[in-house]
Amino acid sequence: MNNDGIVWEVLNNQFCSFKVKTDLGNLCRHPYNVTGRCNRRDCPLANSKYATVRERGGRIYLCMKTAERAHIPAKQWEKIELPKNFAQAIEVIDKELIYWPGWMINICKQRLTRITQYLIRMRRLKLKNKTTLVPIKKKLERREKSREIRAEAAARLDQSIEKELLERLKSKAYGDQPLNVNESVWKEILEGDAVEAESDVTTEDELEDEEEYEYEEETAGSSSGRLAREFVADDSDADDSDAEDGDDVEDDMEDFGDMSPSDFSSADDDSASEGEDVNDEDDSDMDDSDESDSAKKPISKGKRPAAPAARPKPAKRTKKHGPRVEVEYETESAARDTMLTNW
Amino acid sequence: MAARPVVSVFGLNGSKLDATVPLPSVFTAPIRPDLVQFVHKNMAKNRRQPYAAKQQAGEETSAESWGTGRAVARIPRVGGGGTHRAGQAAFGNMTRGGRMFAPNKVWRKWHIRTNSNQKRYATASAVAASGVSALVSGRGHRISGIEEVPLVVAAEVESLSKTKEAIALLKALKAYADVAKVSNTRSIRAGRGKMRNRRHRQRRGPLVVFAEDKGISRAFRNLPGVELVDVTRLNLLQLAPGGHLGRFVIWTQPAFEALNKVFGSQTEASVQKKGYTLPIPVITNPDVSRLIGSDEIQAVVRPSGPKNMRRPFAQKKNPLRNTQVLVRLNPYAQVLRRAELLGKNKKTKKYTHKKSASAKFLQILKAD
Repeated sequence: MNNDGIVWEVLNNQFCSFKVKTDLGNLCRHPYNVTGRCNRRDCPLANSKYATVRERGGRIYLCMKTAERAHIPAKQWEKIELPKNFAQAIEVIDKELIYWPGWMINICKQRLTRITQYLIRMRRLKLKNKTTLVPIKKKLERREKSREIRAEAAARLDQSIEKELLERLKSKAYGDQPLNVNESVWKEILEGDAVEAESDVTTEDELEDEEEYEYEEETAGSSSGRLAREFVADDSDADDSDAEDGDDVEDDMEDFGDMSPSDFSSADDDSASEGEDVNDEDDSDMDDSDESDSAKKPISKGKRPAAPAARPKPAKRTKKHGPRVEVEYETESAARDTMLTNW
Repeated sequence: MAARPVVSVFGLNGSKLDATVPLPSVFTAPIRPDLVQFVHKNMAKNRRQPYAAKQQAGEETSAESWGTGRAVARIPRVGGGGTHRAGQAAFGNMTRGGRMFAPNKVWRKWHIRTNSNQKRYATASAVAASGVSALVSGRGHRISGIEEVPLVVAAEVESLSKTKEAIALLKALKAYADVAKVSNTRSIRAGRGKMRNRRHRQRRGPLVVFAEDKGISRAFRNLPGVELVDVTRLNLLQLAPGGHLGRFVIWTQPAFEALNKVFGSQTEASVQKKGYTLPIPVITNPDVSRLIGSDEIQAVVRPSGPKNMRRPFAQKKNPLRNTQVLVRLNPYAQVLRRAELLGKNKKTKKYTHKKSASAKFLQILKAD
């Protein structure tokens, strides 16, 4: 039957699943072991009368085991929650373990002390606002950095800003006599209005130009899924997935301020507001000189270098001034829509 | 045992039933880890299949030593020519392509016979050990949720046929943790056994013992780690896997009750094992350390000596020259030595040569 001596003989000499052999001696992984060592005295399995102090979720319990419950594993341990007051907890231990072996009482008290100490320390640490260390993942950083650069280039902010400003001029948002506008630009706009008034029909050439222009604009500045792939052909497989596209879009949109991807779902509604946001942001950045040069020269902000490939486009546009072109290539769906409408 | 303890029976839903079974005598059999290990070792060898090197392996050449004088080692070398093999060493266990040292023979004694009584003793020990919750949890079974050890389930379990029901029962008994442990520990074996049809390894789960198979084996057999066995055929290799005592056993009530017939008791012979009675322990309370420390014995024991005995002497002293040591060995020597010394003094003082006899003596001599 259950016999401590035999249990110890078997577990010590044969096999105990809780025993861990280390250089420091044998340790015991049993959760109820009071010292953590594997020896005859401290083994919770080989002693039918045993007591421990355990901590669960910040609460400290005195756990006791007696021979009477040796055959009921489910109810083997009697758990008594100790009071939070340390002195009272000591008293409770003294009361519950009265007449128990002296060493057991002392070890339980020592364990209680240690547990309360580390709990105090834990609470203090929590209040300390400890900075968490986040590892720098080289691959990730490198990837994101290059994506940012590419997205910036792809966004062609300067072009979009230019377009936006011209649009605003055209739409007379600044009134009939706007200030700080290059004379030639203003004249062209006025002429453009006149031309538009003349003929609504667009010639083939103009259409072609439009398409080309549209297409090229899109290739140049679009961040739509399909075209973006061409743009970022060298990248890893991750780019092909939709999730990554979403991320791409997000990254691209970082420059446009705090806009969530949900904004892009209804493109036409938000396009204007987007444009405005963009404009506002860039307006604050740009100075008079920039505005005047917006039509002719490529805007190169100090931070990033001007992408030379894109430059001919604005010039071409101002020369061959076709009918009023509405281009929105900030959003995927918007670009598509405009493309469809302008087919 | 003054009164036999009683074991409760659990129903299919895991709740304790009113029925109880008195504990069979097997569970009071002495637990002998040494014997179990010995018998297990022998029994485990009985399933072996012979292995051997090919009989002529390494000797299928007509190699001869070149002898001395050729600036090569004297090991036999393959004769002939025109091939790499010519001149290569052969036959030795150290040579490449040579015969191994002491080639394995198929007539090695693969199976070990053990005395029946020893085998029965070991099985009884193993059954007894399965009733000690400390041993079962020490062996590694997850029984912290079990309501009672030994775990006895109602007879209806023997009629279960669906694995779903079996799982439900185990979960109700809180024994499913042990089965889950098995599936969690399933891993690919390290080593060549992988490609020898021993690919996976996993822990052992509960052993379900029944008296009559009315479908129970079909219910439990697909669960990983669960083994089923008839109570009349209890196997030590299952009760103490690896020679380690304390398998988690789930008994059905009929099986539990049948244990008395299978093993008998210390006084009553077993029905199944003709004339067999359970072993009588040499010492009824094997917890020797507790016995020694008990009040009854401590009351009559003489006080112990010093913990560390002092050495009697660091330098041996010759008794013939050192009086103290002499006296330690022979206390009477002191008396003798003292007398000797006193006598010496006396002698020198009192002894005087007499020139003639005393007057009284002469008188007596001459008296007629």
